[in-house]
Amino acid sequence: MCPCFHPVECVIPEHMLESIATHGTSAQRQAALNNIRVVYQLRAEQAMRASFKGLFDSAIPRAINNEKERVIYDAMRRDTLPGTVARREGDAPSSDPAVNEAYDGGGTTYDLFMKEFGRNSIDNRAMRLDASVHYRTGYDNAFWDGTQMVYGDGDEDLPTDERLFNRFTIAVDIIGHELTHGVTQFEAKLVYSQQSGALNEHMSDVFGSLVKQYQLQQSASEADWIIGGGLLTGNVNGVGVRSMKTPGAAYDDPVLGKDPQPAHMRAYVNTVSDNGGVHINSGIPNHAFYLTALEIGGYAWKKAGQIWYTALRDKLSESSNFQQCADLTHQTAGELFGVGSLEQQAVQHGWAAVGLTVSESGGKPKPSGCLEATLRFIGAA
Amino acid sequence: MEFTQIKFERSGGFANIRITAELNLRDLSDEQAIALKELLDELDFPKLPTKLTSGETVPDEFIYTITVETEKWQHTIIADGVPKDAKIQELLELLNRLARKKMRNL
Repeated sequence: MCPCFHPVECVIPEHMLESIATHGTSAQRQAALNNIRVVYQLRAEQAMRASFKGLFDSAIPRAINNEKERVIYDAMRRDTLPGTVARREGDAPSSDPAVNEAYDGGGTTYDLFMKEFGRNSIDNRAMRLDASVHYRTGYDNAFWDGTQMVYGDGDEDLPTDERLFNRFTIAVDIIGHELTHGVTQFEAKLVYSQQSGALNEHMSDVFGSLVKQYQLQQSASEADWIIGGGLLTGNVNGVGVRSMKTPGAAYDDPVLGKDPQPAHMRAYVNTVSDNGGVHINSGIPNHAFYLTALEIGGYAWKKAGQIWYTALRDKLSESSNFQQCADLTHQTAGELFGVGSLEQQAVQHGWAAVGLTVSESGGKPKPSGCLEATLRFIGAA
Repeated sequence: MEFTQIKFERSGGFANIRITAELNLRDLSDEQAIALKELLDELDFPKLPTKLTSGETVPDEFIYTITVETEKWQHTIIADGVPKDAKIQELLELLNRLARKKMRNL
């Protein structure tokens, strides 16, 4: 039986996708169109990278001494990046808490990746960690723009009793999350759409949470596994924006609505919003990671984190889906800790609990399985 | 541009809090209505392409969907958080401000 929940995410010839997009039912057409979009996006990105690889690589600012180097800028509430330098590596703390949070959070993220995974910054070649704070006015967001982190101040422009968000540097896991988007950009390059996009978000949540646990020296059972703790103001009924422990339970508020994350494949959300639900369906692999780390026990970055980091660096690719992530993390656990080891069993149990049965094929698409799935998809089997 | 309604949706972003608002002309102050009409005229909104995305994948950036309805036509555009055009940015920021305010006053 094919491990795919969404058969057209297997390797299906383009002409077949086009035919499904033209002649299928409404749901089939939508699924096929989503896949065609991913194919085109992949091709465009591959072509661009091939054309500009040398230029892009030489333009990356790197640490002079090949060690941790941070530069924090103040965007002065404008949208021009990066802004004015507010603190450089080794400078005394600023009087601005957002500057210090971006500096310290970037440092903790660098330390986790360097000391625990042997990775020297985002590109593993000592890329300088640039971040801009105070981006725009009333900007309730943070993002990685491909070269640097960018943080808004939340709802600072609204009256206190109407504010929902604090500044986005307030939680160290947000900083770890954004930096991990950079790591993913240099490694698996997961396409930011549908399941591969949800895995991109998942990896950022995993390492964002691990940065926080590493900073607090918490074990898996001690950690809260909340993403964005402290980000929501006291006006909101919520503890953060996502929960890896209990996806769907981070907030439930009259203004914000309810946390939409599922914790199981049976509740997978098909949507065109949010790049195909990348921040929604990430709840499924997030929960699998949490369960794996809890079963292994101890500090989550030591074993579960090592498995996921190795899979991100060496195994996952641009179009990986949830099933492949499950298979490849399981395979990685076997390589790192032994086939049948408690660690590998924990990975298997974690994925099983969210509705994904790991395959012994190691995440490689099985042609017969995909063919079977395709036939089922078009109603021929 | 005499619009009757503007539908606004913002999705994505690190927190993925979806903001939606249906802004009717009669619900807006004169100042807000004039500012919106002028912007839509300057942009020649019905002639804008449906997709105004930058083509760059920016993790955690916002995605905006805007539908303007008049008595004669309806037109939708989808834009991401980093459009190059300053007037588009101005429109997104104005609609975002109005939608945020409306969301909190429910």
